[in-house]
Amino acid sequence: MRFTALVTAALVAGAASLAGTASAAEAVSVRLKWVAQAQFAGFYVAKEKGFYAAEGLDVTVNPGGPNLNGETLVASGADQFALAGGIENLLASRGKGLPIVGIAMMLQRTPSAYVAFNDSGIRSPKDFKGKKVSTFFTGAHNTLYAVLSKFDVGAADVTVVPQAVSMAPFIDRQIDVATVMLFNELNVLKTRGVKDFTVFRAEDYGVSFPSDTVIVNEKLIAERPQTVQAFLNGSMRGWKYAAEHQEEAVDIVLKAASGLDRAHQLAMLAEYSKLMVADLGTEKGIGVLDMTKLGAVRQSLVDRKVLDAGVQVGSALAPRFWDAVPTQYKKP
Amino acid sequence: MAGRVLALQVGTIAACLVLWEALARGLGGPTAVMPPVSAVLLDVAANHQVLLRGVLRTLTETVLGFAAGAAFGFLAGAAFAESRLLERLLLPLLVVSQTVPVIAFGALVVIWFGNGILSKMVIAFYLTFFPVTVNTLRGLLSVDRQRIDLMRSFGASPWCLFWRLRLPFALPAIMASLLLGVSLSLVGAIVGEWFGDTVGLGIMLVQAMYAENLPRLWSVVMACGVLGAGLYGILAAVERRFVWWGREL
Repeated sequence: MRFTALVTAALVAGAASLAGTASAAEAVSVRLKWVAQAQFAGFYVAKEKGFYAAEGLDVTVNPGGPNLNGETLVASGADQFALAGGIENLLASRGKGLPIVGIAMMLQRTPSAYVAFNDSGIRSPKDFKGKKVSTFFTGAHNTLYAVLSKFDVGAADVTVVPQAVSMAPFIDRQIDVATVMLFNELNVLKTRGVKDFTVFRAEDYGVSFPSDTVIVNEKLIAERPQTVQAFLNGSMRGWKYAAEHQEEAVDIVLKAASGLDRAHQLAMLAEYSKLMVADLGTEKGIGVLDMTKLGAVRQSLVDRKVLDAGVQVGSALAPRFWDAVPTQYKKP
Repeated sequence: MAGRVLALQVGTIAACLVLWEALARGLGGPTAVMPPVSAVLLDVAANHQVLLRGVLRTLTETVLGFAAGAAFGFLAGAAFAESRLLERLLLPLLVVSQTVPVIAFGALVVIWFGNGILSKMVIAFYLTFFPVTVNTLRGLLSVDRQRIDLMRSFGASPWCLFWRLRLPFALPAIMASLLLGVSLSLVGAIVGEWFGDTVGLGIMLVQAMYAENLPRLWSVVMACGVLGAGLYGILAAVERRFVWWGREL
């Protein structure tokens, strides 16, 4: 009798392990928009805490870098998912015919702002006129032009130069106004002891350009929608956890990229979370696609004639996946 | 004599470091781009584990890419030296390949070779093989005609000619290209890490630059310098030991 029980137990165990192999986790990868850092904590947390595994996914987090473009890598199929640029980048890529679709938006508010020294006499973006302004030409320049247009300052009235990775040209006063990401360069200026400067937030002038779009290839949506859903479920759960457990999230990021400075990463995640858990992100949940805001960005790009009027927000975004993410995974 | 040269070398480096410390302290404020060398050394001490891990990873990429590039370069150079037709057909393509800056096709390297060590190796290989090819070719072809004729007159086979005359004659030129190639391999491995990685000196450079962590930036630069000088030194020692005849042949 005991022998039979033992054999049965062994058989059951064997069958279970077989079933385990049969439903082995599906391997996918997500490309980040920059090198590993707290800006991407949610993805590292989801992997480390087993949120992806719970959805049946084996996710590889691939860091980005200079000259690596998440939009291109997802369009080519090298990566299944990416945390790409702002909505303006997604629309521009759609305009070029890349088969990519946005399924979530991490930042509900414009992450960029502008800094000028107090003694420069610059009191508002109106005073940028005739000054030397540096900005990132990877999307942030669209935000800058949108801010300037609010003050009737044309693109030709300002000398806009590409901004290097370093804030040194601003500190050395080679340029009058520099662009900062609220979660990165602004902290860099503070840690380096730079004082007596004013921050002009794009958001304060009614320019709200949501950023950090989670994108996927159209083909994957058509062929394996359940994979897309599984990835988004895990990612949103990871992000909510990261926002609520910031110290632990930063430690998880540091495990993946040990060369980073902990204090800087903590400040980054704190600031990033403020832009993420804001507006509709607070009301409905982290990562929500705020269609009203996104439509307004599209309109401003079309008005400035930098986007083809044929590109529609509706075809560039697929909100149904985010809508289907369980509320407890996304609602802060 | 050797001892005095060594003492002078160490003295020069020490004097440079003292000068660096003095200038950085004297001229730089808290926002200076150049931190004092003491701050850099403190960073090295505090982060030696991370640095060591980065050095080992970048070293692996460099050595693998260098080995592949040196082997390919040698074979291609030797093949071109044997067949001028082959040289006419293929060498222009290799020349064209070198005119494209590697940073321009970073995304392609990732799409083709993935995110692992292979993509870094490929970039190191890409930068290494060309100087080795050209120097092998030039070296093998620069043998004095009369010596070849002399050996032929004794009935030497082409194989024997290659091993006994051409190769020894070409080796100093080949060694020179290897010395150049190993530095290029290191550059290739560092640049390769910019296209998506979490470990290695290259990615640590980007992280430090982006966060404006200047002591870290310089401690990584120092690690790159030590690694490059070390690799160069090893090859130079190999040259002195095994290719001692130089161009005197």
